[in-house]
Amino acid sequence: MDKKPDRVLSLKGLTKRYGDKLVLDDIDLDVYEGQIIGYIGPNGAGKSTTVKIMLGLEATYAGEVEIFGENIKQNNVDYKYRIGYVPEMADLYDNLSAREYLSFTGELYGMDAEQAETKARALMGIFDLEEVFDSRISSYSKGMKQKVLLISSLLHDPDLLFLDEPINGLDANSVMIFKEILAKLSEQGKTIFYSSHIMEVVEKISSRILLLNEGKIVADGSFGELRQQNKEGSLEEIFNQLTGFKEYKDLSEEFVQIVQRDKR
Amino acid sequence: MKNFKSLQLLDVFKGLFEKADIDYSTMRRILQVKLTMDGRRTSTVMSQNMGKSKSDSNQFLKSLWFYAFIGLTLVPILFFGENYMFQVSLVLGVFMFLIMTTMISDFSSVLLDVRDQTILGTRPITSKTISASKAVHVTIYLFFVTAAIISIPLIIGTIRHGVLFGLLLVFTILLSNLFIVAITAMLYYLILKFFGGERLRDMINYVQIGLSITIVLGYQVVARAFEFVDLEATFTPEWWTLFLPPVWFSAQFAIVLNGEAGIYYYVLTALALLVPILSFVAYMKILPAYEENLVKLMDQTTKVSKRGRFDLFKRIASFVTRSKEEHAFYHFAEKMLKNERELKLKIYPSLGFAMIFPFVFLYNNYTAAGSFEALGSGRSYLSIYAALMMIPGVVIMLQYSSKSKGAWIYHVSPVTDLTNSIKGTLKALIVRLFLPVYIAVSVIYLVIFGVRILPDLLIVLLVTLTYSAICFKIIKGTLPFSEPFESWSQSDGWKTLPFALLIPVFGLIHFGATLIPFGVWIYLAVTLVVTPLIWKYGLKRSPSS
Repeated sequence: MDKKPDRVLSLKGLTKRYGDKLVLDDIDLDVYEGQIIGYIGPNGAGKSTTVKIMLGLEATYAGEVEIFGENIKQNNVDYKYRIGYVPEMADLYDNLSAREYLSFTGELYGMDAEQAETKARALMGIFDLEEVFDSRISSYSKGMKQKVLLISSLLHDPDLLFLDEPINGLDANSVMIFKEILAKLSEQGKTIFYSSHIMEVVEKISSRILLLNEGKIVADGSFGELRQQNKEGSLEEIFNQLTGFKEYKDLSEEFVQIVQRDKR
Repeated sequence: MKNFKSLQLLDVFKGLFEKADIDYSTMRRILQVKLTMDGRRTSTVMSQNMGKSKSDSNQFLKSLWFYAFIGLTLVPILFFGENYMFQVSLVLGVFMFLIMTTMISDFSSVLLDVRDQTILGTRPITSKTISASKAVHVTIYLFFVTAAIISIPLIIGTIRHGVLFGLLLVFTILLSNLFIVAITAMLYYLILKFFGGERLRDMINYVQIGLSITIVLGYQVVARAFEFVDLEATFTPEWWTLFLPPVWFSAQFAIVLNGEAGIYYYVLTALALLVPILSFVAYMKILPAYEENLVKLMDQTTKVSKRGRFDLFKRIASFVTRSKEEHAFYHFAEKMLKNERELKLKIYPSLGFAMIFPFVFLYNNYTAAGSFEALGSGRSYLSIYAALMMIPGVVIMLQYSSKSKGAWIYHVSPVTDLTNSIKGTLKALIVRLFLPVYIAVSVIYLVIFGVRILPDLLIVLLVTLTYSAICFKIIKGTLPFSEPFESWSQSDGWKTLPFALLIPVFGLIHFGATLIPFGVWIYLAVTLVVTPLIWKYGLKRSPSS
C-alpha cells in the first residue's frame, strides 16, 4: 500500500463508571485500516464495555469516541451502516427462520430485501446450511446459530467489524474458513476488533494485540513485540504474567484436593 | 412474512411519523418482524389450552374472542338504570383490570425484550425509531384488546343511553388506556430500579397466574352474577372512592348525563383528566432512564434470604424420602416447581382451582340444603374430593420443562433405579403444592362440619396419595422435566379424563362407607394398608427407560 492507512477508530480518555466502580480508566487508542485487533483481558476487565460504548449501546461515558473520523455522540447513527457486530451471547430473534432474520437485519442496514435474501442464501450455502434456511433458528445447534450471527454481521459488507467470541461453537473446518475470511477482509483494508478468551487463535490471527486489565491497556503491539518485551513463550503466558496471575498451580492443586476429599 | 392488516392501516399515518423524525419504513419492518414473532407464541389467556401450532395463525387473535365474551357479559350492567356513577365505574373497573393484567402478562415481552438492545441497538437505527416501534407495537395490541372488550358494550350503551354516552365512553377509554400504559411502564421502572430483573420476572409470572385463575373463576362468577341483577344500585360519594381510578372516569358521565354537580364530581373529573396526562408526561421523562435500567434484566442475580423457613422444609424432605437418590430428586423437583416460571404458569392456576372448586360444590349443596346447620350436619364435606381434580393435570405437566434439554443429566448419571426419580418428584409435588392447599381447605371444612370429619379428611389424604400414584401412569415412561412444553398436545388433555373420572368413584366409595356403622374407620384402616403398597409396587420403573 502506498498511502498511509486511514485512522478508523480513536478513543481519547475514555472513562466509564458503574456506580463507584471504575470500569474503563482513561483509555487512549488509535486503530488503523486493515488491522486485526486481538482484544483480550480477564473477565470483568472492561472489554465488552468498550465494545458496547463504540456500538452506541452505552451512552454515558467520559472522553471521546471517534469512528470513521466522527464523534459518535454527534453523529450517532450513520456510522453504524459501516459496522458489523457479532455479540457474545447468541442474541437473535430465534422465532424467525434464517431467511426472515437475515433479510430483516440486511434491510436494517439499508439493503434491498431481495438482494439481502439472495446474498444470505448464498452465504448460508457456503456454511452448508442451505437446507435449514427456512427453519426456525430456535431449532438450530449452537454452531449453526453462530454461523447465522456471522453472516448477519457481514451481509452488508461493513468496514469495521466487532467480533465477540465469534468462533464459539464452530467446528474446526468452519473455523478455518472463518479465519481465512478475516485475513481476506483485512487485506482489503477492513478493520476487525476481535475479543476472545482463546489465546491460541488470537495469537495466530491478530496483527495487533491489546491487553486490557482493570480498565487499563497494559499491553499493545504485535505478538512478536509482546514476546520480546515479556520474554515469554506463548500469548497465554504473556497474559498470565501481565495480569499478575501466578497462583494457578496452587489453585489447581487445591481444587483436586477438594474433589478427592471424601473418597475412602 | 405476512403483510399485516394493522400495518397497512398504519401506513395512513406515515406522514405523521415522518414529521416526528422517525424512519417509517424501518419502523414498519421492525413491527412486521415483531408481529410475525408474536404470531408464533401463545398468550396467557390461551395458554390453558395451548397446543402444537405450527402455522402462523395468530394465537393472540384467537384470544380476542375471549375478550369479546367478557365484553358481552358487561352488557347487563348497562341496564341497571340511569345511575352512571355506578354502571360506568363497574364497567371501567372490569375493563381496566383486564387491560392492566393483559398488559403485564402478554405485553411484557414487548416492553422488556433485552434482545432488542443487541439486535436493534447496534444497527443504524435512531433510538427514536426503536422507541416508536415499541410504542406502536403495544398500541396495536392495546387497540385490539380494547376494541374486543368494549365494542359490544359501546354499541349497546349508545343505543340505550344515547350518542353522548357513546362519545364519552370512547373518550374515557382512551384516557384510561393512556393511564394504564404509563402506570405499567412506571411500575416496571420502579421494580427494575429497586429490585432488579429477576424480581420483575417473578412479578410478571404471578400476574400471569392470577390472570389465568381469574379467567376461569370469571366464568363461575359471571354465571352466578345474573342472580343479583335486580340488586339495588346506588352510589354514595365517599372519600375513599377518590382513590379508585374507575370512579374518576365515571364522574364525567354523572356530570354530563345525570346533571350532578358539586365539588366531589369536579375533583373526580379533574383527576380523570390530569392523572393520565401527567403520568404519561412523567413516563416520557423517565423513558431514557428506563431503557438503561432494562439492562438490569440481563443479570440473573437475586438475593437469597429466608434461612429459617428452609430448614423446616429440609426436615420434611429427609422425613418423607427413603434413599439418597430419592432425596436428591425430591429436592430437584421442589426447586423446579418453585423456580421454573413456565411450569408455574401451567401448574399454579390448577392449585387455585383445587382451592376453590370444593367451595363451588359446597355452595351448590348449601343452596340445596337451605340452611347452614343443615349443611353442617350432612355429608357435603365429601365435596373436598373436588380438590383432587388438579392432580392429573399437574402430574402430566411434571414431564415438561422449558429447559428440558437439561434432562441429559438423567442419562449420564449412574442412577440405577428410576423409581426413585418418580417417587421423589411425586412426593415433592404432594408436600409442596397439594398439602398446603389441602390443609387450608381442611381447616375451613373442620370449622363448617366439626371435628367429626377428621377421619374422613385423613382418608381423603391417603386416597390422594394412592390417586397421584395412579395418575403417574399417564406419563408412562417419560422422566420428570424431560420434555419441552412445545411437545404438549391436545391429546394430553384428553388422557387425563379417565383419571379425572376416578375422583367421583373414590367419592362414592367414601360415601358408601359413611352409610355403614364404623364404615369410615374400616375404610381408613384399609387405605392405611393399601396406600403404602401402591407406592411400593405401583411405581416400579425399569432402569432402562
